[in-house]
Amino acid sequence: MFGITTSDTRYDDVWIVVPAFNEASVIAEVIADVRSVFRHVVCVDDGSSDDTSDRAFSAGAHVVRHPVNLGQGAAIQTGVEYARSRPGAAVFATFDADGQHRVKDVVRMIDRLTSEDLDIIVGTRFGDRVPEGMPKLRRLLFPIIAKVSPASRKLGLTDAHNGLRVFDKTVADGLNLTMSGMSHASEFVALIVENGWRVAEQPVEILYTEYSMSKGQPLVNGVNIIVDGLLRGRMRR
Amino acid sequence: MNWIQVLLIAAVVVLLVYLLASRRKAQSRAWVKVGYVLFVIAAVYAIVRPDDTTVVANWLGIGRGTDLLEYAFIIAFLFTTISAYMRFKDLELRYARLARAVALEGARAPEDG
Repeated sequence: MFGITTSDTRYDDVWIVVPAFNEASVIAEVIADVRSVFRHVVCVDDGSSDDTSDRAFSAGAHVVRHPVNLGQGAAIQTGVEYARSRPGAAVFATFDADGQHRVKDVVRMIDRLTSEDLDIIVGTRFGDRVPEGMPKLRRLLFPIIAKVSPASRKLGLTDAHNGLRVFDKTVADGLNLTMSGMSHASEFVALIVENGWRVAEQPVEILYTEYSMSKGQPLVNGVNIIVDGLLRGRMRR
Repeated sequence: MNWIQVLLIAAVVVLLVYLLASRRKAQSRAWVKVGYVLFVIAAVYAIVRPDDTTVVANWLGIGRGTDLLEYAFIIAFLFTTISAYMRFKDLELRYARLARAVALEGARAPEDG
């Protein structure tokens, strides 16, 4: 068994949501890493063709498996819906399955969420210093993309597309992501504005490994995100 | 600007706004059907008396009836494309919700969880 259970019960009301699609080679390691601090992890297998779910399960995660591939936004929504229905769940976090996030950043964000009376904290790659190892084009474009979105500009957010977020029950209960694909990040920000959730940013470090880079989004997908954002208000919720 | 240009631009804008604003209502679906009936009647008329399309085209400042039909066709195509796109997005969302319900039903929890 991978399951390393900690005697520390401080974070027992925390649920970590890990959306995963074909991540069999890294998922066990990522789940074990998260489980070294947090007891409750739900891995949403977004219809992977490999054995992502089995590996996540034996690493000690709750596993919810989409029968078909729906996209990351849908996976996050599923994970949050699962987690918010668990007894005692009070704090939630989204955490990418490719190992690009650090568990200690989540711990810092959770501590801050409770001490500063916020509803949600989103990670930013553009906090105190230039993100190390981030490809130049991305370094240049991401802050611009963040400013293009009216919602994220209003909130003064610098990085709308960071997969690391920590939030409370209010946000989890109110969350209703309808953009199944990669546009969910901007939709998340729009929901923050619409619901008046108290938000802050936390500088986090992204580990740009070769693996996480190979799983990354081609920049041209940004076009989809912009179009979806424009049409979002027209969709029936 | 000649009349046809004004009409075409107005038609595109009106269709777009109408489609986006009230796509859901049963009323808008009813209007789509009315529009379809009118389209069929106009099509039959244009087939029976093709030269009349040229007369109408001339009123609107275009030389040939063929051109008029082409413009109308382009607008109809745009309308169809957008409406299909929106409908697709809608179905995708329902599909996602269905898959989610299935997924949550079959969730596996670890023993110590």
